[in-house]
Amino acid sequence: MTEALSGIVLELDRVSITTSPAAGARTLVHDASLTVHAGEAVGLVGESGSGKTLSTRAVAGLLPEGFTVGGTIRIDGEDVSLLPAARLRDVRARRLGMVFQTPRAHLNPFRTIGDFMTEALVSVAGERADAAAGRAIDLLDEVGVPDPSRRMRQRPGDLSGGLLQRVMIAATLAMDPRILLADEITTALDVTTQEEVMAVIADLRRHRDLAMLFITHDLPLAGAVCDRVVVMNQGRTVETLPAASMRERARDPYTIRLLSASLPGEAARPSEAPAEPILRVEGLRKTFRVRAAKGFGHDEFVAVDGVGFDLAPGGSLGIVGESGSGKSTTARIICGLESADTGSVTVKGEDWTRPARGARGRRRRARIAQMVFQDPYQSLDPRQTVRECLTEAVALHRPRAGRPEQTARVDELLASVALDAALADRHPRALSGGQRQRVTIARSLAAEPEILVLDEAVSALDVTTQVEVLTLLDGIRRTTGVALLMISHDLNTVRRLCDEVVVMRSGVIVEQGPIADVLDRPAADYTRMLLDSIPREGWVPRRRRPARTGALPSVATSTTAIPRGGTP
Amino acid sequence: MSVAQLAGGRVAAVVRRAATRDPLVIAAVIVVVGVAVMAVFGQALAPYDPNAIYVGPVSAPPSLEHPFGTDDLGRDILSRLLAGTAPSVIGPVIVVAVSSLTGAALGISAAWFGGAVDGIASRVIELIFAIPGLVLAVLAVAMFGKGLLAPTLALAIAYLPIVARLIRAGARAELGKPYMAALRIQGVGSAAICFRHLVPALLPALFAQTTIGFGYAMLDLAAISFLGLGAQPPASDWGVMIAGGQPALIAGAPEQSVFPALFVVLTVLAVNVLGARVTAWSEGGER
Repeated sequence: MTEALSGIVLELDRVSITTSPAAGARTLVHDASLTVHAGEAVGLVGESGSGKTLSTRAVAGLLPEGFTVGGTIRIDGEDVSLLPAARLRDVRARRLGMVFQTPRAHLNPFRTIGDFMTEALVSVAGERADAAAGRAIDLLDEVGVPDPSRRMRQRPGDLSGGLLQRVMIAATLAMDPRILLADEITTALDVTTQEEVMAVIADLRRHRDLAMLFITHDLPLAGAVCDRVVVMNQGRTVETLPAASMRERARDPYTIRLLSASLPGEAARPSEAPAEPILRVEGLRKTFRVRAAKGFGHDEFVAVDGVGFDLAPGGSLGIVGESGSGKSTTARIICGLESADTGSVTVKGEDWTRPARGARGRRRRARIAQMVFQDPYQSLDPRQTVRECLTEAVALHRPRAGRPEQTARVDELLASVALDAALADRHPRALSGGQRQRVTIARSLAAEPEILVLDEAVSALDVTTQVEVLTLLDGIRRTTGVALLMISHDLNTVRRLCDEVVVMRSGVIVEQGPIADVLDRPAADYTRMLLDSIPREGWVPRRRRPARTGALPSVATSTTAIPRGGTP
Repeated sequence: MSVAQLAGGRVAAVVRRAATRDPLVIAAVIVVVGVAVMAVFGQALAPYDPNAIYVGPVSAPPSLEHPFGTDDLGRDILSRLLAGTAPSVIGPVIVVAVSSLTGAALGISAAWFGGAVDGIASRVIELIFAIPGLVLAVLAVAMFGKGLLAPTLALAIAYLPIVARLIRAGARAELGKPYMAALRIQGVGSAAICFRHLVPALLPALFAQTTIGFGYAMLDLAAISFLGLGAQPPASDWGVMIAGGQPALIAGAPEQSVFPALFVVLTVLAVNVLGARVTAWSEGGER
């Protein structure tokens, strides 16, 4: 890309961002500097709160009311603070394309994809409606959306997350921008879909000489798809590294910490083989009634089909698979949030296939199995403080304990998840994602369970926080002897924590066995594809057959195209 | 359902914020407190007997003896306004209290039990929705005779589905959140989940709807009295006063209608402003 270095598309020169005076005028970004040349991809990496999204929003003019920007932002050499408002809007509309983390939140569910795609073409570029529709179809085709003319008539609800993200990318291409601002665009997607979206972007950049500012907390991903990586920490750009040699060149301790946090976990420990499994799942099947594709009828959607596995006392089992593979449904059946159609769940010799009836039954099961959910922002009551939440859980399982005893137990729980006691009187909104997840873990430990079900428990967290929480869970498992059932789409987290693994796809088990066997010598092509999709050094995202990101199948069929042939 | 609960025990902070930032809210509080004082002490504060005729000249403009003037029978308008506060305010309070409590109970039950309970409750709600409140109130008067009791209860029933629907939708959304599943897995009892977690989550919406409902109920009851179906002359309900002032209005003495109308509008506005702000604060605090 030597000739691509000719011009600078985007330049941030000692940019600072300050909140409105009413909010205390705190400076959130200090002296952030970076440059993106024409055709170049620059990664902007940091944890949440590091100021990477704010900086990007400042470029796009999307800061909240009252925020002030210091320093200089230049788009295509033009200083945005000196441009008149109308010209600035035009520069942003025509030179910048922005794609966000959650495409679904940015699309009106009642408007068709066609409406969305042609809006900018008609209202900004002044094209005629039919010409705009033709161009929109071309753009959708360019980003690999299958059957684009049909998609134009569909609504966001009919499309999967991966497809919607491509629609967003296609829409930003409508104005033929010079640079794409991509803000955590793959964070909400599972690994295989992430690979596809990144492959589409790589193609586009090759064909259009498009520059990109790629915001992510995933350093290996940034390293794989970008030319240079800028690391941001606490509002400051700490380091700029060439992507290819970032591991060797990293000097800043924060970068080194990020790099080590994202390294694959140590090999799993061999487990002692105990006699009786604490949890045995056999031939589990669950179907949901969904609206039929056509007409007013119902279709059966098979979420889980013939799933069976054992979990040893104190053991750890991971269930991996993409979204829609049925892994969460399996966990919900085990915890009594859904009931299975056929098959059985046996816990300590007791039949748990149906959810417990009544609070007493639920409480008895609660002392054996507990669950930690994916979204710590939603799994705590926003009106309770941490202490209220934990006290409620403690009082439930130790009803006869007095006040002081309960308080002591709450403190003990806080200590066991390494949460500062000073945070105990805060509400969840005042805690970070990692702190909230510690609270939910502490709450689940209040019942002193023998099985802890972790449903994507670290997926919503930053990499460094993920490592902290995983280390914590590993420690808890060692000290309390609780068995872990870990549901995840991320093979690395499962590898870090589990002895055994079950790979699921479209509701059925593709492969299962000890973690080292399955992940190091995968027998199924599907497992190999999941492993190939993980960003790492020398990783090049590849486009799979487009059918893969179609809507969920109405029956458990295999729609995923597996590159190396064969069906699982 | 107190403001204290809504704000999660942060009343002091809410009051402080209101005092420093929001003059509109201060004005609303003054109006609401003023109307409450008038409702309780109205009779005692009235300078004249509200029903005594010819205490002054007929249809006189405001003067020192009669600050709001006199009506076409020479009664003191200020005295009648003060005495009429209680009947004008108690009606809407009963309407919103009854409709909010029963509506919330119905809505929560529908969302909680789902299935057949939800189906039946929803059909009942839709059925009541189909009948306009004022028509139901007029019908109640036709069946049970004139007076304020029948239309008040009729309006309470007419407003019930609005609350029930709102609360059912809110409860369904809340019950679908992971923290509810987490509480079930914890083994928390159903009553505790419902009253300790679900109900507090719905209070801001319920409070907002209650204040809006109060305004509508006040206007509807005033309309019923205006039509001559509610409070009966010589009672000085604000709606009756507005109606009684019609001939004087045409004759060029607007005081008799304008002052009670002004009080209706002020009270409704103040309650709505207060409801909207308190809801916004309590929700803002949760995010």
